[in-house]
Amino acid sequence: MKLQRLIMVLILLYGVVPFVLNGNNYVMSILVASLTIAGIALAWALLGNLGGMVSFGHAAFFGVGSYISALMTMKLGVPVPLAMLLGGIGAAVASIAVLPALRLSGPYFALAILAYAHIFKILATEFASITGGSGGLLGIPALPTLFGYNLGSKLGAYLIITTIVLVFAFIYSRIRNSYYGFALRAMHDSEDATRVVGVHSTLLKALMLFLSAFMTGIIGAFNAHYINFLEPDYAFQSGWTMLPVVAAIFGGYRTLTGPLVGAVVVYSVDQLILKSIIPSGHQIVLGALLGVMILFSPDGLMPLLGKKLGRRRAETVRTPQTETIC
Amino acid sequence: MLKLDAITVQFGGLTALKGVSLAIGAEEVVGLVGPNGAGKTTLFNVISGLARPSGGEVFFNRDNVLKAPMYKRARMGIGRTFQIPQPMHELTVRQNLLVAQRFGTGKVNLEKIEEILTFLHLEGKADRDAAQDLSLSELKALEVGKALATDPQLLLLDEVLAGLETASKRAFMKTLTELHQKYRISILIIEHDIETISSLCRRVCVLNYGQLIADGTPQEVFSNPEVIKSYTGGGA
Amino acid sequence: MFDLILQSLYSGLLSGGSYALIALGLALVFGTMKVINLAHGEMVLLAAYMAYVMESRFAVSPLLAMPLALVAACLVAVAVYFLVSRIGKNRELNSLILTFGIGIILTNAILITWSADIHSTSSTGLQEPVTFGPFSSMLSELTFFGVSMVVVAALWWWLSRSWYGRAVRAVSSNRDAAKLMGINPHRTEVVSFIVAGILASVAGVALYCTGVIQPALGSSLTTKAFIITVLAGIGSVPGVLVGSVLIGIAESLTVTLFSSALQELTGMVLFLLVLFVLPNGLFGSTRRRG
Repeated sequence: MKLQRLIMVLILLYGVVPFVLNGNNYVMSILVASLTIAGIALAWALLGNLGGMVSFGHAAFFGVGSYISALMTMKLGVPVPLAMLLGGIGAAVASIAVLPALRLSGPYFALAILAYAHIFKILATEFASITGGSGGLLGIPALPTLFGYNLGSKLGAYLIITTIVLVFAFIYSRIRNSYYGFALRAMHDSEDATRVVGVHSTLLKALMLFLSAFMTGIIGAFNAHYINFLEPDYAFQSGWTMLPVVAAIFGGYRTLTGPLVGAVVVYSVDQLILKSIIPSGHQIVLGALLGVMILFSPDGLMPLLGKKLGRRRAETVRTPQTETIC
Repeated sequence: MLKLDAITVQFGGLTALKGVSLAIGAEEVVGLVGPNGAGKTTLFNVISGLARPSGGEVFFNRDNVLKAPMYKRARMGIGRTFQIPQPMHELTVRQNLLVAQRFGTGKVNLEKIEEILTFLHLEGKADRDAAQDLSLSELKALEVGKALATDPQLLLLDEVLAGLETASKRAFMKTLTELHQKYRISILIIEHDIETISSLCRRVCVLNYGQLIADGTPQEVFSNPEVIKSYTGGGA
Repeated sequence: MFDLILQSLYSGLLSGGSYALIALGLALVFGTMKVINLAHGEMVLLAAYMAYVMESRFAVSPLLAMPLALVAACLVAVAVYFLVSRIGKNRELNSLILTFGIGIILTNAILITWSADIHSTSSTGLQEPVTFGPFSSMLSELTFFGVSMVVVAALWWWLSRSWYGRAVRAVSSNRDAAKLMGINPHRTEVVSFIVAGILASVAGVALYCTGVIQPALGSSLTTKAFIITVLAGIGSVPGVLVGSVLIGIAESLTVTLFSSALQELTGMVLFLLVLFVLPNGLFGSTRRRG
């Protein structure tokens, strides 16, 4: 992203939004929730774009991250930030169980992960002694106070999730433009073509899986400390998979900003408009949106808009990047 | 440098290679010929690590590399091209070479990349999309380029000349000759054209039905009655 | 205890029948189009709701809902085919996402139309217990198991004897060769979707008569069907039968020996087991690696 544009975005996110929306708790909470979805959407797109694997089970990593972080703080007295990190690591460790599925073709991997989500949900319900079972965990410690500022407030939560998402976006962008990113993208069409020049393709894919799980786990942990409550049906619900997928496809999963903007737009519209029109079953519109996007603009809305507005956003790197890091 | 010891490869009921033993030394240019289906590409697959033999050993520079996966062998110095070019999509020609160099040698040397580009006459297309904007002979050149970028000691060329018309073919042959002289690497080359092989290689190995039936100079090999029979259809 | 186990085996066997119908539909479509229809379970569910409508609105036996269920399921099937065939590139993955979206649409449509309440047949006749020896079940379970077996047998006959059936098998195993033999692959694909719809409608009505239905059931049905096809291995009708019964029995045993909460888990665990230990399924012959 051009530096100028980046600074403008930062000012918008850290300056304008808090100033304008601070009083409005309702809109703030929608924004925080949509950014939560945005984070997962980013992690999902990372796995899809770089790892080359479409997943229908990211809710698994979200839930695992949520529970591990919550339990760390509640049972072991670990401070919240550290617990969140452990939540991410826990989700990454959980993804080790998915590793064997990497060698499967697309649909099988997507559904293998879905099976994991279900399994974790049921496990979380059954091991009630540890996880509080279906009754759930109440009173999860909130986000801490930093420099005298209460991060547990709506505004505080907003700042935290925004920062998390921005950091993830930065990491994603770095990898994408590195040699590893090149190799990963080349692997989609022919893994052998990359292995024959020395790329350890299996390792790279595994690392993308860990990273995606780690990111999603941290988001899940954030959410746990934000709403201070968890139960298996909530933590592992399919919405945590579905909404990010819709967001990423709508916004354009091949781009960096696509999933983020897509999440904010889709979630906000869903909560603010759709929910009031069709209180029960409003997600039907999301399903339709998904279908329409795949059929008419599989690359998402952002690239479409970009083209329409006459700007050429270079999604695939065409310029000679000879001095990239790594 | 490369030693194959009684390599046998079986797929289900089919024996692709049977007890093939072969050794290639430093800076040798060896041709590998044989009728279609004789097992030439399979042999390349075994050497580069794409296929696991059901029997036999593969030694590279005295190390047993049988257990080494493909990417490791590439890093050790075994470079290989595919019969059907497989450029890395979504990357430019230069980026293809950079990735190959970065992962095949562990570091990036921009001068070497430019050198390879010039040597293969690809500098004009260096910033074009490798998968979309290249002609067949350029794609083949890129295949060679990628392998070269990994700084190999042994280069396996799988029918690089197939499908090219005469002018490109001749230019390519010249490039191949210069390749050996300039980079001082060993080359094992699969080709169908006897003339090409005879002019490029000082040594030729012949495979037929998975077995090595001849190994010697082009004159020796191509006057060998068994070899002639295999080409005109006589069976193993 | 032994009686309990016998009973579980029996119940599992009976439920395996309906599972088989659902799984076969999914497998057929995958065979011809190489597409996994993630909205398949919702199609079954829709048929089940048709049975509900028949019983609650028109006060007739849900069995008479078959024609309506058939129409509903086949309409959906054709619609899905139409949409999937419109996908431009990267069909394997895009169809997954598309049918995922269609599934969401259907689930929510059912939710909107009929609310989240659970329903099941109120017909006492169908719920009548039928016992012989240590085996006991509802009349509906037994009946529909019989119906399933008949349908499966009919399907088998169709696949091996009829023109379209054999065309489906041809396209599934080698599309190009089939084209060379004059088979129109597109028409065959539609046929496979329609047949899947027929199977789904029977399974749906069976579901309503033997169990409970609610909108969220759609995706778990699809998942279960997918698991069975993986268990069975690609391209094996007997495999699907065995797989379905296996899942049915495994679920039943889990409920009896452990707890009903773990019922769903059984299928998942079996799935993962097969995926990593027996990648070709129990009977499959083709490699499935990416």
